[in-house]
Amino acid sequence: MRSFEHLSPRWCKLARDLWNDRGRMLLMTVAIAVSLIATSAMLGAYAILTREISANYLGTRPASATLEMSQAIDAALLAKTRAHPLVAEVEAREVVQARTRVGDDWRRTLLFVVDDFQQLRLNRFHPESGAWPPRDGEVLIERSAVGMLEASTGQRLLIKPPHGPAKEVTVTGLVHDPGLAPAWQERTGYLYLTRTTLALLGEPTALHELRIELKGQPRDPRLVEEQSKAIAAWLVGQGYAAHEIRIPPPAQHPHQRQMVTVLLMMLGFAVVALLLSAILVANSLAAMLTRQIREIGIMKTIGARTSQIAGLYVVLVGLLGLAAVVLATPFGGLGAVLFARAISSMLNFEIYDASIPAWVFLVQVVAGIAVPLLLAIPPIFRASRQTVRQALDDHGVSSDRIRARLASLPASLRNGLRRPARFMLTVGLLSAGGAMFMTAINVKGGWQANIAKVYETRDYDVEIQLEIPTTRDLAQALGKLPVVRTMEAWGFSPAAFAKSGQLDVVRTYPDRGHGSLFVMAPPPATHLIHFPVKAGRWLAVGDTDAVVLNHAAAAQAAGLRVGDPVSLSLEGQPTTWRIVGIVEEIGSPAIAYVTDHAFATVTSTEGRARLLRIRTVAETSSERTSAIRTIEDELLQRNVAVTSVVPLAELRTAIGDHVKILVDALIAMAIILAVVGALGLGSAMSISVVERTREIGIMKTVGATPVRVVRLLVSEGLAISVSSWFLACAFSVPLTHFVDRLIGNLGFLAPLPLVLSMGAAAGWGALTLAVGYLATLVPARRASKLVIREALAHT
Amino acid sequence: MSTYEPNVHIVELRGVRKTFATAGRPFAALDGIDLRLPAGEFVAVVGKSGSGKSTLLNLVAGIDRPDTGQVIVAGASVHAMDESSLATWRGQHVGVVFQFFQLLPTLTVLENVMLPMDFCRTLPLAKARVRGLDLLEQVGIAEQAHKLPSTLSGGQQQRAAIARALANDPRLLVADEPTGNLDSQTAQAVLELLAAQKRKGKSILMVTHERDLGELLDRVITLADGRLVGEQVREVVRA
Repeated sequence: MRSFEHLSPRWCKLARDLWNDRGRMLLMTVAIAVSLIATSAMLGAYAILTREISANYLGTRPASATLEMSQAIDAALLAKTRAHPLVAEVEAREVVQARTRVGDDWRRTLLFVVDDFQQLRLNRFHPESGAWPPRDGEVLIERSAVGMLEASTGQRLLIKPPHGPAKEVTVTGLVHDPGLAPAWQERTGYLYLTRTTLALLGEPTALHELRIELKGQPRDPRLVEEQSKAIAAWLVGQGYAAHEIRIPPPAQHPHQRQMVTVLLMMLGFAVVALLLSAILVANSLAAMLTRQIREIGIMKTIGARTSQIAGLYVVLVGLLGLAAVVLATPFGGLGAVLFARAISSMLNFEIYDASIPAWVFLVQVVAGIAVPLLLAIPPIFRASRQTVRQALDDHGVSSDRIRARLASLPASLRNGLRRPARFMLTVGLLSAGGAMFMTAINVKGGWQANIAKVYETRDYDVEIQLEIPTTRDLAQALGKLPVVRTMEAWGFSPAAFAKSGQLDVVRTYPDRGHGSLFVMAPPPATHLIHFPVKAGRWLAVGDTDAVVLNHAAAAQAAGLRVGDPVSLSLEGQPTTWRIVGIVEEIGSPAIAYVTDHAFATVTSTEGRARLLRIRTVAETSSERTSAIRTIEDELLQRNVAVTSVVPLAELRTAIGDHVKILVDALIAMAIILAVVGALGLGSAMSISVVERTREIGIMKTVGATPVRVVRLLVSEGLAISVSSWFLACAFSVPLTHFVDRLIGNLGFLAPLPLVLSMGAAAGWGALTLAVGYLATLVPARRASKLVIREALAHT
Repeated sequence: MSTYEPNVHIVELRGVRKTFATAGRPFAALDGIDLRLPAGEFVAVVGKSGSGKSTLLNLVAGIDRPDTGQVIVAGASVHAMDESSLATWRGQHVGVVFQFFQLLPTLTVLENVMLPMDFCRTLPLAKARVRGLDLLEQVGIAEQAHKLPSTLSGGQQQRAAIARALANDPRLLVADEPTGNLDSQTAQAVLELLAAQKRKGKSILMVTHERDLGELLDRVITLADGRLVGEQVREVVRA
């Protein structure tokens, strides 16, 4: 017996209750602590990441808008623009899409051309190592592109610019550009070079991108657009011409929205885990109160008020919460920093300050103590408000009326239902834990199924984008290569949703990586793509003004429906179409599909194509790589300017890599939920058995053998496990649907397909059965071994 | 009937009726009880099982409430108090002794005795400890003070329960078959302990099945089917 002489008797009682039931108390504390670690890790990571991603991105001094000028930007234009009252800063840049030889492949590479490395004004990047600035003939590489291009300082890279032959340049330094989505996620290399180096590569050195920072750095996209248009119009009046305005989401890293949404979703899962652990505490406490109901009656008899009784148990739960907070704080903090570092590394930004704000700890303390307390208050007040007679007369079972209703149920369920509230809490806890567990696995399955759609809806192996429309003779020649099974030559153009008489406005970053729109013009009877039609129809032979939007384009053109006219600017040229259908196209940017003939007519490119989609005869990955290389060699021999060659496998990798961390984190959450759920079941089962010790004594008195007693109790545990499993399966379907919509819309602008994992259901079933079995078996065997006198004397 | 005087009468029941819902028709445990008990007496309530003895005791101790009628104990209208006031009042004015002792199993004997003083905040911790030990001395189990109740014999536990009932120095002790779970020798010792409290000025109301208590009792109340069917005073009891 522990001595607590310095405490008054009632607190002695509390201390001894805690000590005597230390196993279960520890279990409750661990359950809260585990979920609190998850919650505080997610909350801490959220606080660190949202602060640091902003600090990183805003530290680059991102341009509010980029005006794509029709002529070369000179010093006079820069000076005039800088003097405009709406302009805070201005800089001329150019981004050239090239390709870099990596092993036997050519990888898409963006060349960021900078006029003066010593005077970066906007979209700044920082030297990490090596040379700064790069000398002529040298390039710097963005640190996240090192793996993509398999290049490091000192190595030579073979770069194929759009208009000339491939040439070698030396990588002389490493830079960090926090304003870009990571290279490995975009499957694109990032290189930084001077105009002279660009000239050495055989490209024109004129800069066309007029990057502007608006005064006051407005955060309202409409205001940015309005002011950017005003500047562009003013420039036109000054004798300059801009044909496109590119406006990124103001003050937002390219992946910030996705990151925040994912973090909030993970936080949501963690909060649910915390709620589940709080239910576990409430459930265990309810059981403890049931056992102590006579003691409560006695205490009230000798003078305890309701508030004094309630206070004891409130303090007990508060202490458990406090212990969990103490336990969780270091691990939660560590988890937050590690998770934040993993995410920042993935998104290629620096954690300048890894400190967790005080409010996170405050929320953690409040959540760790208040959430279990809130859920524990109903059973505490129910027990402490009982009158003395009710408390002393309590037999711990439901009313006769309820018992009568249960009579038709199997004995194993009927026994579990003798305390309906606790039964509901136990089954509810397990069901919720199970549903979340299955949802996490299901969402992972949905994500993978969505990625699989990349292959299912595309029957080509490689997409080749040409610098300029090229005659279809080339296509025919390529089509005769033995490695080519099918080839289609499509029209292609960067585009924008246009407004009559206004400049094209594209919601994209300077690298055109996110938010861009393209028009593609396949033959209507194309065999290489077959996207699910969500509304209207696909293109038909003879269509002249029909356009089919993929769902990403439809999202950009919010408000437009099938049948509506739509104006598209094709590289500055206005065209008008009528929407005939909307398709779901996973893994592509916004694309508007028109027929090849209609496209050729409006762009005057009859007989020419800019996009080649090819299906090879290859059966294996290595054969496919070899076939693509053969095609590229053919293009090289024919001196065709190629903008990009994107194998379908690259696209799939890019999509998969975008959210790998999300899937991993979902699984981690599933494991946490499984732990909390298992602890809940274990706790409830063991309490249930212990409470029935007297009953076991009676059963043995009337002839039940220990084996029979154990079998009966275990069957009850399994009945609860099975009941909760059915409910968990049922709950997991709408929950999966909800999360699929959330994540799908976030990642793909379309819900993920509903995938119900049989493995997850079976796994959860096995876990609940195993825990239910073990959690019942151990105390049941212990209770069944008691001699009858001991069992009957049990209180 | 004379007028109720708090200093003279410790308990007065006026037209008390108490029924309980059962599977069949409502069962009247007490059916129109009028009773007045003088202060300072050792009173036994007797009757067959189901006659309403424990219900009467529960009403007097404020453990239960009458459906109709008034329960006045030590000058307080018990029937009109809310649960919280009742708890404090009971802790200060009534000591309750149960048949099965009902000591809290996780507290030592001394702590059990100190508990009413803690809840009613009658004494600070140090003084409560001294008083607790003193009470245990009075009931003859001071050497058991730091033991858990489960290590004590039934008689010792009931002595501890009596010490606990005396903790806040109440005017009235109610005891529900305090000897029902004890052997005859121990039962006699417990009854004598209660009688000793009566001699110290306490009023004692006890439900019992014991016979041959004539020497100890001042009054015997007999109940049958929820009605008061007999009241014998000292001379008759001892006759």
